Amino acid sequence: MAWITKDSANTQIDRRDEPYLSAEFKKAFDEKYADRYPTRRALSLPILHAIQHEYNYLPYQALEEAAEFLGIAVPELLDTATFYEEYFLEPKGKYTIWVCQSVSCEIMGEGNITQAISDKLGIDPGETTADGKFTLMKVECIGACGAAPCALINEDLAEDLTPDSVLKRLDVLD
Amino acid sequence: MPLETPVIFKNVPTPPWGSFADRTYVDYDAYVKAGGYEALQKGIDGGAESILSEVKAAELRGRGGAGFPAGMKWGFLPPADGEPRYLAINADESEPATFKDQILIQFDPHTVIEGIVLCMIACQLDTAYFYIRGEYHHHRDAFERAIQEAYDHNVLGTNARTGKINDRWPNLYLHRGAGAYICGEETGLLESLEGKRGWPRIKPPFPAVAGAFARPTIINNVETLANVPFIVTHGADAWKKNGKGRPEGAPPQVPASFGTKLFGISGPVNRPGVYEEHLGVPLKTLIDDYAMGLKDGEQPKAYFHGGISMGVVSQEEVEAGVAMDFDIGKKWNNLGLGTACVTVIPQRVSMVSMARNCSRFYSHESCGQCTPCREGTTWTAKLLERIEAGDGTTKDLDLLLELASSMGSMPGSTICGLADGNNWAIRTIVNKFFHEFEEKVSKSSTVSLAVVGGA
Ligand SMILES: Cc1cc2nc3c(=O)[nH]c(=O)nc-3n(C[C@H](O)[C@H](O)[C@H](O)COP(=O)(O)O)c2cc1C
Ligand code: SF4
Ligand code: FES
Repeated sequence: MAWITKDSANTQIDRRDEPYLSAEFKKAFDEKYADRYPTRRALSLPILHAIQHEYNYLPYQALEEAAEFLGIAVPELLDTATFYEEYFLEPKGKYTIWVCQSVSCEIMGEGNITQAISDKLGIDPGETTADGKFTLMKVECIGACGAAPCALINEDLAEDLTPDSVLKRLDVLD
Repeated sequence: MPLETPVIFKNVPTPPWGSFADRTYVDYDAYVKAGGYEALQKGIDGGAESILSEVKAAELRGRGGAGFPAGMKWGFLPPADGEPRYLAINADESEPATFKDQILIQFDPHTVIEGIVLCMIACQLDTAYFYIRGEYHHHRDAFERAIQEAYDHNVLGTNARTGKINDRWPNLYLHRGAGAYICGEETGLLESLEGKRGWPRIKPPFPAVAGAFARPTIINNVETLANVPFIVTHGADAWKKNGKGRPEGAPPQVPASFGTKLFGISGPVNRPGVYEEHLGVPLKTLIDDYAMGLKDGEQPKAYFHGGISMGVVSQEEVEAGVAMDFDIGKKWNNLGLGTACVTVIPQRVSMVSMARNCSRFYSHESCGQCTPCREGTTWTAKLLERIEAGDGTTKDLDLLLELASSMGSMPGSTICGLADGNNWAIRTIVNKFFHEFEEKVSKSSTVSLAVVGGA
């Protein structure tokens, strides 16, 4: 949640000439969302989702462009972006594995699932494999407790997992 | 007496009436065929007052955790003043072990939408936001599809069959969260809706007076609203035949537990899932008859009976007759009914590890505004990790209890109820299973190297 800290003074911000938010992106976004809310700031969550959907994380320059597009201050958007667990300010893997660690899943054997993934990929929770393919996250209840232990692999729900079944699911991903 | 016919799950196959395997998305046509949107027509014909008085008469209490009477909440709205008024539907469903709303969202969204539109008419709310947690991906797709169908059939939008509400055509938008438990708290939800971090607001002002975008706003849980179509179609009296009324002769101020409820059951049971039963059903019946008992020969030890924030009930208490109604808190020493989603804790699982799991959850999800909550959750989590690792002392136990019981219980010391959740989870676990904690801390912590009786 809200505890992401960074070494702001020394952070090198990557910039590129081509804008992250193209004119078409902005037009399509406004057509879909602009009429829904009485303020532009309320578009913050939708635009962060849209950017992450496009780039798989939130590049800093894209946040600056988005803030300008919404007519709010960059820190206002950054404040929102850093609060929510789903938003990544750093690049993450092509596949993010979100293993549920809450009570029902712990009782049903979450520990072995996480261990199996961790061993197989050689990373701890919170890390990304060197080839940029997988990011492993431990998260709180994902609302599929009847099928514990469970995980989300990107947007797909993987239910009733065993160490074997979760590794098989990872094997077929390319 | 077991429930005879499902009310909320009318269109969602559920044992004993149907099978989980037959659950599929009920689209607009199928919904109408099953009698759907008749309540809406009745509500349109009868007008706002008729819906409001029926919901008030039903004494429908909120299904999101706090059990506040919905009709009373709707009655707090100020008179319309020509400016927009909002409905926010709470589909954040992030309480650990809770997975009931998602069934309605993915399989029978039109029941929810019908309830939403009836609420909009009753309260004269022109715009509704369906705040759904970020992790519900295919649920989100299902609900988006249902919203589109509702627009296509003039349930919503320009030329909606409702006519203008509060001088505007009614709209319903899905708003996706992004992974933060605290956005389930109603004012955290509103902040998040406005595009900010989900920091709960100090009340008053209450949302009914100044909520989303500083305008009057009603916030209700998905399941709460899913009850409204039945109440409007069949009337409050028919709806109140289910559930548990107030005790004989009790004055009307005593809150009752009318209606049915969705119960999620998870843990090592033979048939985990979401079921519908009367409010007031014995917890034991849910486990034995619905979840079909524990599997693999496991023995039950305790239960989180309503999400972790309500605390636990022990197997002895369940044997003695714990009933799943709104009085459960007072009777069995916990915070309340909560989300009514049950986790079975088997004998093999240590209660120390369960307490550690809960505390980690709260310290991770605390939004950090209030010192007792921000510091207290982290401190209890660290203490419990230490105790679990076998490095705790008896003094740590005293400290743990003192910390837990001073979080949130004093009105005004914290802004929202998250701190109370930590308080009750930890306190009930430690108090009801004190021996397990004692065993963990009473081991001698220094190894003696002295050789006794050596020559
Ligand atoms: C920390 C916290 C988290 C909450 N999370 C949820 C939630 O995920 N879903 C929900 O419906 N209510 C949640 N609530 C309860 C809401 O604040 C609110 O009482 C409820 O949405 C009102 O709707 P109802 O009266 O229909 O139950 C939460 C409350 C607190 C204090
Ligand atoms: S009690 Fe905790 S979660 Fe609630 S507002 Fe205060 S710090 Fe945030
Ligand atoms: S506890 Fe793991 S999905 Fe709910």
